[in-house]
Amino acid sequence: MMNWIIFSPEFYFLLVSTVFLCLSMMRRIKPEQLYFTALVLASVGVGVCLACVRLTGDLFSGTYRIDLFSQVFKVMLSMGLFLVVCLCTELEGIAKRHHPEFYFLLSACTLAMMMLVSSVHLLTVYVALELSSYSLYTLVFLRKGRDRGVDAGLKYFLIGASASALMLFGFALLYGSIHVAYLVEILKILPKVLNRPVVIIALILLLTGFFFKLAVFPFHFWAPDVYESAANQVTTYIATASKVAAIAILIRIVALAGDGSAYLVHMLVTLSIVTMTIGNLAAVVQKDFKRLLAYSSVAHAGYVLIGILSMSQAGYSSAIFYALSILMMKFTCFLVLVKVSDDGRNLDIEHLAGLHRRSPILAMALMMALFGLAGIPPTIGFTGKLLIFTAAMQKGYFMLVLIAMINVVISLYYYLLVVRAAYLLEPKEQLPELQVPGSIKVLAGLLIFGMVAGGIFPQYIIELSRTAAMTLM
Amino acid sequence: MPIAYAHFPYLSSILFSCVAGLLIILFIPEDKKDAIKWVSAVCSGVTLLLSAYLFFAYDKTQGGLQFVEKYQWVPSLGISYYNGADGFGLPMLLLTGIVFFTGVLTMWELETRVKEFFALIFLLVSGVFGMFMSMDLFFIFIWFDVSLFPMYLLIAVWGSTRKEYAAMKLTLYLLAGSALVLPAIIYLVVKSGFHTFDLVALMHPGTFTPFQQKFAFILLYIGFGILAGVWPFHTWSPTGHVAAPTAVSMIHAGVLMKIGAFGVLRVGIFLCPEGWQYWAHLMALLAVIGIVYGVFVGLSQTDLKFVIGYSSVSHMGIVGLGLATVTVEGLNGAVFQMFAHGVMTALFFSSVGYIYDRTHTKSIVELGGLSRTMPVASGYLIVAALTGIGVPCLASFWAELTVFISSFKVYPLYGILAVCALVVSALFMLRVVQRTCYGPPKERFAHLEDVSFKLGIPRMILVSVIVIFGLFPDVMLNMIQTASIPFISGLP
Repeated sequence: MMNWIIFSPEFYFLLVSTVFLCLSMMRRIKPEQLYFTALVLASVGVGVCLACVRLTGDLFSGTYRIDLFSQVFKVMLSMGLFLVVCLCTELEGIAKRHHPEFYFLLSACTLAMMMLVSSVHLLTVYVALELSSYSLYTLVFLRKGRDRGVDAGLKYFLIGASASALMLFGFALLYGSIHVAYLVEILKILPKVLNRPVVIIALILLLTGFFFKLAVFPFHFWAPDVYESAANQVTTYIATASKVAAIAILIRIVALAGDGSAYLVHMLVTLSIVTMTIGNLAAVVQKDFKRLLAYSSVAHAGYVLIGILSMSQAGYSSAIFYALSILMMKFTCFLVLVKVSDDGRNLDIEHLAGLHRRSPILAMALMMALFGLAGIPPTIGFTGKLLIFTAAMQKGYFMLVLIAMINVVISLYYYLLVVRAAYLLEPKEQLPELQVPGSIKVLAGLLIFGMVAGGIFPQYIIELSRTAAMTLM
Repeated sequence: MPIAYAHFPYLSSILFSCVAGLLIILFIPEDKKDAIKWVSAVCSGVTLLLSAYLFFAYDKTQGGLQFVEKYQWVPSLGISYYNGADGFGLPMLLLTGIVFFTGVLTMWELETRVKEFFALIFLLVSGVFGMFMSMDLFFIFIWFDVSLFPMYLLIAVWGSTRKEYAAMKLTLYLLAGSALVLPAIIYLVVKSGFHTFDLVALMHPGTFTPFQQKFAFILLYIGFGILAGVWPFHTWSPTGHVAAPTAVSMIHAGVLMKIGAFGVLRVGIFLCPEGWQYWAHLMALLAVIGIVYGVFVGLSQTDLKFVIGYSSVSHMGIVGLGLATVTVEGLNGAVFQMFAHGVMTALFFSSVGYIYDRTHTKSIVELGGLSRTMPVASGYLIVAALTGIGVPCLASFWAELTVFISSFKVYPLYGILAVCALVVSALFMLRVVQRTCYGPPKERFAHLEDVSFKLGIPRMILVSVIVIFGLFPDVMLNMIQTASIPFISGLP
């Protein structure tokens, strides 16, 4: 007898997607009503996930596992959805008639990612990953006006499809060589057979699918174009929730390798260094704010890999902590972006000029988020980096940490350029004060508080992520 | 959970009054400029009083760490909130209090974006105070970085002369320094095997192998040294000083550069004494190059603030030379020099700032005859210049003397070079004074007002501190000795 209570977050989001699917067939619903429905449903979703955080169990003949690791990520994902919905008051980037579909795809994608973080069988991993990818492809296409959405959506789709083909090939090779598909059993067998080339190749191919999601070199080319061309809210979702899910599944897969083989570690070290360096160097020359954030996401994928490749409990827990910090910091940046570009257009960095006068609270939130991304204390971003670097140092990767720190300095340069735009530059023509609703001000204030509190009092989150990482080993 | 809580938490109160000042300022409306300034003055005054009280309440016969506050912060990582004051930290706390209070008073005439300015200053100074009192590596690093990043906005918004370039250069240089410090700290914590960031626990002899000490020390030395203006990593400092507004220059040259030297002492030398002895000769070499280089480059400058900027490089070289001698006198002199130089540059920038605000020029070619039109203002400038040269009965004389005596014993050649450089520095300081204060008075400066009594208060405080510690150097030296003698005698 299966205990269906533990499946309730997924049930709930399935229900939410069904509601929006039905709404999309009704032609007369107003955007405001849709927005409030989505807001209420998403906030209840956070509550449901929080209520289920301590549940454990297995479902579907052991292919689906509910443990603290998956539940923590489900909370993060539902928070990501809720935060993105908060930004949808003026959904200017998407045609009015597509609004119900937008919410439907968003909740379907969240559902898929929740399934992804709980999957412990190769097949469920694949199915969940594809479900989330296809929702995202369509979301990118939804951008209103001209053909830019179609262009980027196609690019996203093509790279994504090739990555998932490679991943499927990796699954086949792995299954062919060790004859098991349950991750738990792979965990038992894999460390012993890691010296066989075919297994290493299978593992590397298998990881490509997740590298694509996380935008790790060489699968990062989609990121800047997709970020730029998708509607602002969709980009927010890709940069926050989708990254969190990718980190989760990557941790789960890499944790299979136990202490790891030298080949695997070398590959991950190389990828991490190349990814963060490319991301940071490319970000330096960007003019468009979303492209800059895209490359900074690439760089952050590199930092997260450092935690993951440490292949220790400290490493995995640091990656979990970092996922939460990315969610908060990136979202804060996008919050400012969405509110400044009130008509849904793309935003150049210089369009932030005069923000400190137009809306002091947004400017401050932006500054804190950027300093957090640059890893400056006392923000949550610094604590995340400290945990990651400590984990890597415990494994003796001194050079890797040093290279990462040099990258941090490079990244500081372009983050400072954004701060400069917000605090120093004056707009060419006089711009009126931004009309920021009180709720958004409160949200920005809460985010600032959260980022600082996470940096100064990280104790609880650290403990939580440690316990979550323990369930993996 | 309190571990030691036997007394009033003075050290935390200093931090608390900074943070309280910051929060109060954030909630005062932008247009109530006077209220903001008064809040800043009161809160910074409280920090000055507290740090002065601690300086005199410290029990010198007992020595060691006093006023200790320790709380577990993140037990799973071994991080604790651990504050303490010893003979090295207290002079620095006093210095920070003095420079902070006088800096706030100096900026009384500020009119643009007042709220943001004072809020950022408070953030910066809370980092500085925290750095000087913390005994936990994690917090030392946090405070170190907190004191750095407000500098970008402070210089870029309120500065002058290529301010954006200078602000960006400064921030990147200093953060590059912290990019070396953080790996070194993590390296030491991980290698110790103690699973703690507690500085006192890690200081236990034999914790680190000689190789680990040498390796970590050089990273810490360069990382913190960038902030201390060690040659050849000093180039951010003159451009930064020149571009920064007056109070920021004061805090920056007066206190922030000391954070670098103090970091080398507190983290590098305390944790890696063998690495310190191993690299001491390199430190001495770089320090002497800095002393000589700063003097000669300063000689050819025409911008008043550049002159002070390069003299700072030279004076911080003296600190470096003192640290490199590995002797009690060297440490005494180095810490005393940090204090004396801090007060002196604060006075220097404060008086130059006053002159610049009135005449709108910092070029010593355009200035002249100020002693006729502004006798008091030029008086302050002259006192600062004389302190810079090291005239007896002023604080930095004793500091420089102690360093030179010890360096003659250990590195005779470098000692001679440094003393010669000091003679040349007398030449360049006097040249500045002569060009700006004497000579025929310029017509267009004739109408300018002199320093009023109210605006003169911060400068008077600085001058009196210089004179008091010049007349009674024992007050300071006895304090520093309580830390330096046990430390040197405890060396392997």
